[in-house]
Amino acid sequence: MVVEQFPNFLEWIGPGLLLLCAIALSGAVLGIFLGYVVASFKHGPFEAFYVIAKVVAEAIPDFFGTSPRRIMAIAQLSIKEAVRRRVILVTFGIFAGALLFGGWFMNAGSDNPDQIYVNFVLWGTQLLILLMGMLISAFSLPEDIKNKTIYTIVTKPVRATEIVIGRIVGFGILTTSLLALMALISFAFVWRGLSHDHRIVDSQSVSSFYDIDPETRLSNRGKRVSSNAIKASETTFDSGHRHRIEIIEDIRRPEDKQPEDTSNIVSQTTMPDGRIAYQRVIVVPTAGHTHRATISGEGAEATIDLGPATGYFRARVPVYSEGIQFYNRQGAPNNRGIDVGKEWGYRGYVDGGSREAPNSLAKADFLFENFDSRLLGDDSILPLEMSLGVFRTYKGDIEKRVIGSIQFESVPENSSSENRFQSDTIVFETNEFQVQTLPISRKQPGRLIAPDGSTLEIGEFDLFDDYARNKKLNLVLRCEDYNQYIGVARADVYFRATDDLYWANFFKGYLGIWCQMIIVIAMGVSFSTFLSAPITMLATIVTMIVGFFTPFIRTMTEEDVAGGGPIESLFRIVTQKNMEVTLETGIGTTLMEQSDKLLVGGLSTLTYLAPNFAQMNFADFLTYGYSIDSQRLLVAFAITMAFCIGLSILGYFCLKTREIAK
Amino acid sequence: MSTDTPPVKDDKPRRLEQSNPDYDPNIVVEAQNLTKVYRDFWGRQKVRALKALDLEIRKGEVFGLLGPNGSGKSTTIKLLLGLLFPTSGRALVFGKDASEVSKNEKIGYLPEESYLYKFLTAEETLDFYGRLFDMPANVRKERVNTLIEKVGLTWAKRRQLKEYSKGMTRRIGLAQALINDPDLILLDEPTSGLDPLGTREMKDMILELREQGKTVVMCSHLLADVQDVCDRIAILYQGELKELGRVESLLKVTDETQVLAKGLTPEAYDDIRAAITKHGGEVLGIDNPKTTLEDLFLDIVRESQERPGHRTSGANTPSG
Repeated sequence: MVVEQFPNFLEWIGPGLLLLCAIALSGAVLGIFLGYVVASFKHGPFEAFYVIAKVVAEAIPDFFGTSPRRIMAIAQLSIKEAVRRRVILVTFGIFAGALLFGGWFMNAGSDNPDQIYVNFVLWGTQLLILLMGMLISAFSLPEDIKNKTIYTIVTKPVRATEIVIGRIVGFGILTTSLLALMALISFAFVWRGLSHDHRIVDSQSVSSFYDIDPETRLSNRGKRVSSNAIKASETTFDSGHRHRIEIIEDIRRPEDKQPEDTSNIVSQTTMPDGRIAYQRVIVVPTAGHTHRATISGEGAEATIDLGPATGYFRARVPVYSEGIQFYNRQGAPNNRGIDVGKEWGYRGYVDGGSREAPNSLAKADFLFENFDSRLLGDDSILPLEMSLGVFRTYKGDIEKRVIGSIQFESVPENSSSENRFQSDTIVFETNEFQVQTLPISRKQPGRLIAPDGSTLEIGEFDLFDDYARNKKLNLVLRCEDYNQYIGVARADVYFRATDDLYWANFFKGYLGIWCQMIIVIAMGVSFSTFLSAPITMLATIVTMIVGFFTPFIRTMTEEDVAGGGPIESLFRIVTQKNMEVTLETGIGTTLMEQSDKLLVGGLSTLTYLAPNFAQMNFADFLTYGYSIDSQRLLVAFAITMAFCIGLSILGYFCLKTREIAK
Repeated sequence: MSTDTPPVKDDKPRRLEQSNPDYDPNIVVEAQNLTKVYRDFWGRQKVRALKALDLEIRKGEVFGLLGPNGSGKSTTIKLLLGLLFPTSGRALVFGKDASEVSKNEKIGYLPEESYLYKFLTAEETLDFYGRLFDMPANVRKERVNTLIEKVGLTWAKRRQLKEYSKGMTRRIGLAQALINDPDLILLDEPTSGLDPLGTREMKDMILELREQGKTVVMCSHLLADVQDVCDRIAILYQGELKELGRVESLLKVTDETQVLAKGLTPEAYDDIRAAITKHGGEVLGIDNPKTTLEDLFLDIVRESQERPGHRTSGANTPSG
């Protein structure tokens, strides 16, 4: 998963409001124009002016005279209607059935069972709740008009605003309750589905472990064990998987930090040279999780108890850099890194140099401007997570991964007068396109460099207190393999702060679905004020599709695409001209290009009228275990409110100006 | 303007105003040159449902709109309620344009069919409509109980309307029309679907509303019902106003005389005939009057309720 750069709410709201005003203004002008044209046919051009003026003038007292009591009355009616027509029961029945039988097909022993479980419940809930929201909202008002029950409503002092808002609120309350229930059940389903226990085969005792041959370092199943493993055993096969348990020998000098967790230490002996040898039990992670081992007793008589699964439910909080700066082989700044062809889109690439020019200065600098222990916690180890892309110019050793390195540097305010710290290089193997964690020690060996470049001191320096004394830290990423390239974007490298509460993050994910659901309901109600039920449904589905594919459509319409727009593309297909061929200049080509511009512009405008559902889709955050930050939620709420208000106004004018009776 | 005087047509074009500056509080409903043309999707004229209707309905009267199917009665009611928009002319209710929502504060409407939410109980139905009038909870509760009792549905107030018979639905429909104690009640075919007993009760209720000073506008093609309760009627045919006036004046046969007497012998019949002939009149018939079937039915029902198990005979029923 790629976590895109996201502005905070205050940065977003300004341009967002401007866009909203532009859309509202265009909508008002277009609405008045269309209304005038329609009224002109009915009443003549002169009278039409008064008709429109009357509608606009009546709108103001209607909006101010809107009564919360009447809104709630209509909301309550909508809720009763849906409940007594058993819509909720049917939806909930389908959901319960899906969970009941879906559980049979979930493989808790797969590589990432938590992702499968979370994906299943999220997509299932989203599909069902959006479908239900669309159906109840699209059919309600047209049914009322068809059955003429609306006659008894509009002949009371009920304003069109109250009918529209009341329905949105009613269906909103109803679906919110159902969504909350679904979220709770889903959470229990995921939790229950992934919770499991293991026992150790044969016996819980350490004495039942077999010895590892130091020559082969293979388990009895032929798998390579940890380099310091001395004994091994395995757990029972539960939930589709088993774990290997190893007793590893962990030798430390007395001045080193000793293990904080002593519950998994089988024995502790002091060696002749003074070092301490700990024999610790570790449960090798399988299927994305592990179990905590607790030792009771000592030595060979010690027994091992395995705790519940840990590692599934994560809500990682990434601390991103403020910006990324690429440098080419000569050390010159470059905005987007090396162009490696089609791969060069999201990520920029860092050149690894070549044998002919081994001293490549290519790198990517990540500037962390608020690097603070309050943000990242005061632990001695800071997890640095990376998901790097790799572009290979030769296959090389297929088993061997491309090597990269990182280095930390302080960022002095005045480099000509201040000393700076530079850490030693930390070399690592890239885990291509997958998240990898580097445990970074707070104490980083390095040197203190004077402004003239001379080394003043060599030693271990603290990342927070020394390197980032002014809260600024530069992380340098390099590719250490000749003729290979490491691809990276700003969001690919981050420090991981203390995790958020998983359950809170889980429910935040459902808030995204809630926002989509409320917009769908508002669309359904608003469209049904002037369309029949099936057409309303169709219009809502189309808008939803545009909403889900907004980023794709925007990319298509707002970026230059080879081969031109739809008309030019069709022309190229018919005349068998490929995308790169330059068309002959002339009236035909100009006409085609201008028509395409118009079409593409229209399509682009449409994406701003449709809700960008991708912006409210937090499924990937939950699936891949990232915390959903409040800025995203605020933006999603703001978009939801904007659409609700806009659609309510549209619904009001459509209902107000239509003849209810036929 | 006299209620018997045909309305004066005003052909001057009028702007659509929100309210009438010349509002006379005694005129509750006013239609001025009211015309409605139904059109198809392409704007082509399908039917001219109402042609330049001019009408005034005064405060406190029971006004009947009469006419065969498709004559424009329901269209007129819908135009007055703002359910339809006039093609030309205008409809004013309490001096306000029919499209204004605020006029509905003082209006009660019983549609032709009781278009109510079948999934609600009678209590919930009235409570819901009460809330639409922004009535506080305590007032609403009291009003709901009073109306349910008034329409005789206390025993079924917690049943969903889908379980109601047509007559019961009409009753609860009437109750919802009266929830706000309206000054103007519009009844579209109020007695349709009711049994004679229900019809009588409905008519009594209309008369009771008149007693309370309410204005009632009803449209019906059941002429006897209209005759029984209406003060004035308008007869529409193919969207045109054909007749308008007080019921008693319209039905009065001026060149014939009716004498009602009691306890006459057969000899007295001959004397009366002779007297009429002597004065130059023509005897059209001397006979015993007949009661209406409605009165006969209601008397039988009443007697059955008073003396359960006793077989009643129409022959014993005193003539009305």
